[in-house]
Order: sequence, then C-alpha cells, then structure tokens
Amino acid sequence: MTHDVIVMMNDANRAASILIVDDDQELGEMLTDFLAPDHLELTACLSGEDGLKALEAGNYELLILDIMLPGISGLEVLKRLRQKSDIPVIMLTARGDDIDRIIGLEFGADDYLAKPFNPRELAARIKAILRRASTGSQRSGRLELGAITLDPRTHRVTVDDKPLRLTGTEFEILRCLLETAGEVVSKDQLNERALGRRLLPFDRSIDTHISNLRGKLEQAGTVNASIQNQRGIGYMLIPGQ
Amino acid sequence: MRSLLVRIFLSFWLIIAITIGFAALGGYYYSEQIRQAIENYEVSDTVIAASTALDTKGRPGLESWLKDLPSKYPVTVFIIDQNGIDLLRRHVPPRIARILRRFAQHHLSGSGHRREPRNLRPARPLTQLVGPNEEVYTLFVVPKRSAYGEWLNEQTKPLMLLFALLVSASVSYALARAITRPVHKFRQATVAIAEGHLGTRVADSMGKRRDEIGLLARDFDSMADKLQRASEQQVELTRNISHELRSPLARLRVALELARRQAGDLPEFTRIETEAERLDNLIGQILSYSRLESRDQEAPAPVNLAELIQDVVENVRFECRSDGIEDVTVQFDPTEEPIIQGYAGALGSAMENVLRNAVHYSPSGGAVMVQLSQSSNQATITVEDQGSGIPDDELENIFEPFYRTRGAVAAAATHGTGLGLAIAKRAVRKNSGTIQADLTSHGGLRIEIRLPI
Repeated sequence: MTHDVIVMMNDANRAASILIVDDDQELGEMLTDFLAPDHLELTACLSGEDGLKALEAGNYELLILDIMLPGISGLEVLKRLRQKSDIPVIMLTARGDDIDRIIGLEFGADDYLAKPFNPRELAARIKAILRRASTGSQRSGRLELGAITLDPRTHRVTVDDKPLRLTGTEFEILRCLLETAGEVVSKDQLNERALGRRLLPFDRSIDTHISNLRGKLEQAGTVNASIQNQRGIGYMLIPGQ
Repeated sequence: MRSLLVRIFLSFWLIIAITIGFAALGGYYYSEQIRQAIENYEVSDTVIAASTALDTKGRPGLESWLKDLPSKYPVTVFIIDQNGIDLLRRHVPPRIARILRRFAQHHLSGSGHRREPRNLRPARPLTQLVGPNEEVYTLFVVPKRSAYGEWLNEQTKPLMLLFALLVSASVSYALARAITRPVHKFRQATVAIAEGHLGTRVADSMGKRRDEIGLLARDFDSMADKLQRASEQQVELTRNISHELRSPLARLRVALELARRQAGDLPEFTRIETEAERLDNLIGQILSYSRLESRDQEAPAPVNLAELIQDVVENVRFECRSDGIEDVTVQFDPTEEPIIQGYAGALGSAMENVLRNAVHYSPSGGAVMVQLSQSSNQATITVEDQGSGIPDDELENIFEPFYRTRGAVAAAATHGTGLGLAIAKRAVRKNSGTIQADLTSHGGLRIEIRLPI
C-alpha cells in the first residue's frame, strides 16, 4: 500500500469501493444501501484493527473513519495508516468535539463530518474527493517554484529533488497555490479546489491543512518559498529571495 | 488573612507584655519597700532593742525577741553566744565566723570596762551584749540582699524592657505565623478549586505535619479527590450519554433518507429531519456546556479579541445567510485590538452564542452592534440588538440553562436550545471575566462581557 491511490474515474458508472470503519453495524448496513445507487460500494468494518487489515488487503479508494471506536481509536488508525498510505480519509467526529476534529486533520485526514450527519452530505463529500482525485491529474503540467516541483501526472512533489509525501488535500492546496504563486487565493477557493465543497461557518479545516503543509515544506528544508496568511482574505505562496 | 495574623500577633504580644509589666511592677514595689526600710533603718535601734530584751528577760528574752523579728525586717540579725553558736541555731556564714573568732580572742577576755547602759560596749563592726550572768553575746547584722532590686537598677531598666518586648514580639509573631500560614495555604487551595482547578492539593506544601493542621490538610485533599472524581465522572457520563444518543440519531437520519428515496419527499420527512437536527444541536450544546466545566489540558494563551470577534462575526453572518435570516446585519468595526490571556476556544463559543442569540431576536431589517473597547486593566465587549428586550426582572436569569423568558416562550421554541447564554456565561467565567445583561435605551437587549487584560 505504498502507492498513491489515484483512480481514474472516467467511467462515471464504474463503482468506487469505499471502506467504512464504524462500530455501529446497523449504520454501516443502512449507508451501504443508501450509497449504492450513487455507484459507491461500501464495505463496513467494526473495529480499527479490522479496518487496517482490510485496507492492507483490498484496494479502496476512500476511507470513512469514525473517531470513537472500541479498541484502537480512530485517531490511532489514522496515524498508523498515514505511515504507509495517502488514501483519502473522511472522518466522523462528534459534533462540538473540536479537539478530535483538529487532531484528525493534523494527522492527515482529508475532511470530516460531525456525527450524526446528513447522509446526502456524506455522499456529496465522498464524490467531491473522488472527483478531485480523478480530474486533478489532467488539469496542468509540471509546476515549479524555487526548489519545489509538483507533477500532477505522477502526483509527486519533490523538494530539492527529494520526494515529499503529501495527502491528497495537501497536494491539491499546494497545486492551487503554485498555480497562482504570488497571488492571494481565497479560503473559499481553496476549499472548493481541495475539498470540493464550499466553506462552512466555523470551519477551519483548510487552515489546519495549510498549517500541516507548511510544516512539511519547512521540514523538507524549503527556505525559498513560504505560505503566508492574509487575514480575512486567504493564503498566498511567496517565492523567497 | 493579614488581619488574622495581626490580630493573633497583637493578642499574644499584649498578653505577654501585660504579664511582664505586672511582674516588673510587683517586683519593683516589693524592692522599693525593702529599700525604704533599709534607708530608714538604724543599727543602734536593733542593738538597743536586743539589749533591752536581754536585760529584762535574760537569754530566753533575747531568743524570743530574735525569733519574733518581722520577716520584712530590713536586716538579718545574728546573735552568737560564747560557744560561737547562733541563738536560733542558724548556720553562721564562714566569713563572719572567722571575724568572730579573731574578735573574741582580743576583746572578750577582760571585761572590766563598763559603760552605760552597762552591758553595752562599742565593738565595731560587731556589738557585744553582756547578759545577767556576764555571759557575752555577739550581735551582728547582715543587710538583706535584694537581688531583684540590684538587678533592676535605673540604668538597665529601659534596656531590659526593650529586650523583653523584642523577645516577646518575635515569639508572638512566630506563633501567629505558624497559625495563619496554613490558613493562607488552605485559602489559596480553596480559591483554586472554586475556579475549577480540581487537581489542587495542599498536604504536600504542609510538610510532614502530624498535628491537627496536617490532618486537616489530608482531609482537604481527600475531599478534593472526591470532587475531582465526581466532576470527571460527570463529564465522562455526559460524553457517553451524548455519544449513545447520537448513534440512534445517525441511524435515524440515514433511515429517513432511505424512506425519502422510496416514498418521495413528503413534508413530514422534512419535519422529521428538522427535529433530528434540533435534537443533535441540543446534544452538542449540552456537551459543550459540560465540557466548559471540566479540567482543561490547554494553557491560556494570548488572544487578539478584535481578530477573534471578527472571525465569529463573519461566521455568524455566513450562518445567517444559510439559515435564511438575510435582513439582519451584524456591525463590528474595531478601533482597538486588546490582547488578553485566555482560552480562544471558550471565548469564541461565548461570542458565537451571544451573537446568535442577538441575531435570532432581532426584528426583520434590524442591526446587531458589536463593540470592543479597552481600558488599562480590562477589555469590554458589548453586543446590542434592536429586539424587544426582556422584562427587567428577568435579566439576571437569562444566563441560567434552559431559562425561557415569559415573552419568548413561543419564539424560543423555534430556535436555540436554551443553553446558548449559559454556555456564554461559563465560557466567560473560564476566562475570569464577567457577563451581564441590561436594556438599551431603545428597549433592546445589551450583553456586556468584561475580560481582565
């Protein structure tokens, strides 16, 4: 599972396989029924251990992960998963539990939904992320800024020719910022591009993703480009010296 | 605390000072009496009295005179017979005995000279008395030594007094400190616990005391343990209840969508969806309310209030648009940027709830005014709406959980959980601030939040 999960969904009718890890068995069954007409094929696991095994064995395009799990927690599953896979993850958190949400995003989840969620919203988010993964690669050629190189076709980012691991969302954000380097991109725009949905009130997930991305770039030794926050407007990638 | 220290200290000191004073006064009075007696005393009076006694009643008379001398007599009188023995068989001081022996050798052998009175003859420093049978008694007086009187003489008296006061003051102070210091520590701990720091303990700071205060400290700690456990259990319970309530709610929503798909979009489905959302909001609010009371892992950090409010205002505007409240405006133009030490999450949730409340009670086309100002030691946030306000006597109560004002019963049922302002109050209190409500001149509601800088 070291490969990047990029699935070309040119055929809209081809079913996408999705794994859900949630200890609520009945919910999993009902969601399977609900998502089937949208060509989303749901497989349910009841514990974190089973979920990790299933991911190891099968070829899934997206993971829906409940944070509150018996045994190893959803956050722990996410942490272990991110050591070897960049599969898009939507996590389910308890509403009002900001800490879980923020930590989840910091651990590399792509998006989140507060439980109990509107199932139509879940379907929309799954589709947004899958769409991003399928269409993103065709949009443009290689992007470069200073030591950073981003290749949409291979979904690879390098800093000083050393590969840099990014989650799907971080990759999209970086691409968006690289395309418009030196210009401010609004949070709304970033949200649309990276998460495939509009910005919601009290939603700071894009800020968390940006701060993760910033951290990874700094760790890779990027000194000649930095992401700046333009308060109330958005973010901007600034080329260094 | 200070006053208790001062009171105990002064009481102890006063008691000690008064005791010393009385003792000194009594001692002084006694020694003064003796001093006066000594001053007025004439050796010849004693000698004449003794001589008279011997003359009239012989040796027994002299003995009984000697025995009956008053105890306050300023001198001790010794009368030694020819055998060198005191009449009252007292021990003769050796120095006196030596002089006596020498004196006896030289002057007592011949007793030819007689003067008036005939049994009296000068013998310095000793006086001899001659009895009816020509027996010779040697009389001498030793002044009573009043150690106290010498000790407390005029030069050392003020110095002694100062010394006594200093010693008693330091002893009193140490004693008072020993009592009030633990009281001070208990008070600090109690305040800390009241502020929600339930991990506060006192026994460690008391050392290894085994006295009543040490026991009290241990009891205090076990009480704090129980409080902490109860509080943690309550938060845990609320968390679990909320989680357990949400699972069926989550299934309900999926079931609803499945039903919609099969039966078409009936208006009842929308109603069920709205109610499920309301239930979910309520659970969320209960969770945030109970969490605000629990112990916090995060430390207070600098918070830029203008930025924080700006964020919340934008989010609430956004929320209004998606809730279909398009014609209420929220105005906020900060001129100052106070920075406080606090919990950004709690403050954001306080602002959010106060603003939501203001927006929901605003009339169509109304404006909500948010203002931020700063003085030397506090930041003040006011939120005013143009709604119909609430009755004066209910202003205090709107921060109570689930409180419904009389006029708002009908309106409140449609929005809000009844916990918004209660959450705001807890969140402000967590930041050591105060929140209060009053009415604007136009009758709208004004909420004022004050936060220490």
